[in-house]
This record gives sequence, C-alpha cells and structure tokens, in this order.
Amino acid sequence: MNYQFLVETFFVALSGVPIALLVTVVALLVALPLGFLLALTRINKIPIIHHLAKIYVSFVRGTPIIIQIFIIYSSIPLILKMIFEKYHIAYDIYKINPIWYAFIVFAFSTTAILIEVFRSALSTIEKGQLEAAHAVGLTTFQAYRRIIIPQALVVAMPNICTATVNLIKATSLGYAMSLPEITLKAKVAANVGYNYVEAYLDIFIVYLILCSTVEYLFKRYEKHLSKYKMANA
Amino acid sequence: MEKYFDASYIWNAIPLLLPFLKVTFLVAGSSIVLGTFFGLLLAAAKLSSKKVLQKIANLYTTVMRCTPSIVLLFLVYYGVPALAENVGLNLHAIDTAFFVVVTFTLQFAAIMSEVIRSSYLAINKGQYEAAVSVGLTPFQAYRRIIFPQALVIALPNFGNGMIALLQEGALAYTIGLIDIVGKANLIIASNINAHALEIYIALAIVYWVLSIVIEKFFAMLEKFFGKGKRTLETT
Repeated sequence: MNYQFLVETFFVALSGVPIALLVTVVALLVALPLGFLLALTRINKIPIIHHLAKIYVSFVRGTPIIIQIFIIYSSIPLILKMIFEKYHIAYDIYKINPIWYAFIVFAFSTTAILIEVFRSALSTIEKGQLEAAHAVGLTTFQAYRRIIIPQALVVAMPNICTATVNLIKATSLGYAMSLPEITLKAKVAANVGYNYVEAYLDIFIVYLILCSTVEYLFKRYEKHLSKYKMANA
Repeated sequence: MEKYFDASYIWNAIPLLLPFLKVTFLVAGSSIVLGTFFGLLLAAAKLSSKKVLQKIANLYTTVMRCTPSIVLLFLVYYGVPALAENVGLNLHAIDTAFFVVVTFTLQFAAIMSEVIRSSYLAINKGQYEAAVSVGLTPFQAYRRIIFPQALVIALPNFGNGMIALLQEGALAYTIGLIDIVGKANLIIASNINAHALEIYIALAIVYWVLSIVIEKFFAMLEKFFGKGKRTLETT
C-alpha cells in the first residue's frame, strides 16, 4: 500500500465534495416542492395526474438508478438535437456541462421517492385538522403552511434524511456522466499509478464522513421539529 | 435523415437480454442467501447483552449505510486480491462473479440485520414468557411462537431489500460481469454506440417488470403467512 498516495488522494477526493453537495442540494430543491405537490395530487385523486404520478413512482422504484442515468444521458441530447435542428439553432449539444444531466437525473429519481414520503406523512394528519382550520377562517394555503405541513414534516423527516443520504451516495454514479465529483476525481488520480485500492479507500472514507455528518445534522433538525409533534392520546 | 429513435430496437433487444437474467438471478440469489445468514448473526449481536458486540454490529450497519455500492464493489474487487497476496494467495484468476457476490452479501447483511432486529423487537416479550411458562423449551418457543409472527412483519422489508439488491446489482457490469446490464453494453458496443437509448429502455422495462413481480409475490406471501393474525379493531 502506498501511504503517501493514500494521503494525497484523500484531498483529491475531498475536492469533489462541493460538486457532490451541489448536485444533492439542487436535486432536493427541485424534488421537495415537486414531490409535495404530486403527493397532494395522489391524496386528493386529481384526475389523470395521480395516475401518471403513480406510474412515475413505480418506474423510478422499479429501475436501477444507473439505468435511469443511461436513459436520460442518451435521450436528452437526442431531444435537444431534434429541437435545435427544427428551429435551426446552432448549438453543440455535446458541449453541455454534465452537471445539468446530474441535476436532471437526481431530481427525477428523488422526486418519485419524496412523493411517497410526503404521501405517507400527510396521511398521518387527520382530515379534521384541515376542517378545523377552515372553520376558524384560515385559507387552504394558510392551513397547510401553518397546521398541516409542520406536523407532516415531523413524520417525513426521517425518510427525507434517508432520501438525502441515498442521493449523496448516488452521486458516486455521476462518473457515468463524466461528472467530476468524489469518485471520478479519485479514479482519475488512481489511473496514473494503478493505485486503485488506495483511491477507493479514500473515496470510502470521504463518503463515510459526508453521510455521517448529514445524518447527524438531520437528527438535530428532527429534534428541533419535535415541538410540532402531535400529542399522543 | 437518420432516424433518431427506432422503437423496434426495444423489442428486438429484450429477447437478447433475457438469457442473461440467469446470471443476474444467480448473483442476487447467492447474495440474498449468504446475506440473510450473515444478517442474522449481526441481528443477534445487536440484540445480545454484550455491549461490545452491539457496538460492532451497529458500526458495521452505519458504515454500510454510508457507503455507495459502486465504491464497495471496487474496494472488494481491488482490495480482496491485494489482501490475499499478503498471505501468498493469488486471486486474480477468480471469476468476477465472486467479488460481486461478496460485495452484495456484505451490503445485504446490513439491511437484513435491521429487518430481523425490528421484526424481532416488534413481538411482545410477554409472548415468549407465556410460551416458556406453559412448558415449551426456548427453542420451541422461538420456532412455534416468535418466528411465525416475526416473519410476517419481516416480509415486506425483506421484499424491499431484495428489490434494492437486484437494482444495486446492476452496477456489477462495471467490473466486467456479463449479466443483463453487461450484455446490454455489449450489444451497444457492437452497434458502435448507435441506438443506445433503445437498449437502455429495454433494460429498464425488464427491471421494472421484475420489481413489480417481486412486489406482488411478497404481498401474496404476506397475506398467506398473516392469515392467523388478529389485529385490534381501532375505532
């Protein structure tokens, strides 16, 4: 084992963390509101949309994320190429920054997971609470913002934590899209001297630290949220 | 103009891919059997009264939960032969399937330890005490009373774990395993990368159908094994 390489590559892997976190944060920012809205369509049985949401969830849960990456990575250039040719736009689709593919893929897969997270969380809140809120004059928006969402969030937070950790781990598959995050950076460094064991140990340690930290932060936030917890009878 | 998307490639690809499901199932099946056994040991450690064992088992689960599958896969693939060399063994001729099974066994064990632990804790302690008080031996109490009830609780999570394993297993192609994903990549390579999208869609359809089938199967099992279960009527 090459210990000098081990130490040096650790910092190379560490330099990929900002990209991994950026992808994670952007994907969550897209997925959280979308997941919530689509969960509402499923609970309230909005015609057409709740069927589509159900199929969408089934597809994402039923296929490996690496295959979702392949499909999106293959189809977006095709779609853009057709659009650009039709409107005679001279843009080179192969120069698109891979980070956009990452945003799309991970937002796409995380939204489906969060639909189910929010659906189950919202199902734990009694209908009577919404009715009571309406009875005292709150608008539906106010009722959700003040009454329903804080309580549902208590239930949803552990699952959101799991989804976030899984999302961070999934960014390791960004190498398939040439995304320069933790895994790809260390792999490239390892290619020079075939120091793969050291490289993957570094990657492993970085992910361990990263995911443990995120879990810790979520636990702190859950404690903060517990003041909204429903009293048990 | 060249046709960008040819749907016929999807239907042509599926018969080419299906024979390689055998490899996928073999690898996944081995990992599930070995992982369940190892998971049982971990669960026993977590539930034991020895603090050291508890800490080790919990640490293992935490580490596995924080490690991406692809990273674990390569650590095993490169790390195990390197370790073996230190004791004079040459593992470089071993089939890649071995490393895949080792990787996913380790990962599935972490999942199973939590499944087993939670289903065991869900059974009220009083049931064991009642069983022993009417003269059953501890082994009989576990086999006749605890296990059948814990099984019903464990089944949905076991099914979820199995589906997750099958999907994570798709990464095995990265170390050269020719399973259904590996075959798809070979087909794409022989097409000089044309029609990759159609092949990947075919792959997605196969996995999607598989997941739904497993889901339905475990729902059936749950209903069957839960037939003796009586739950309290609430409101």
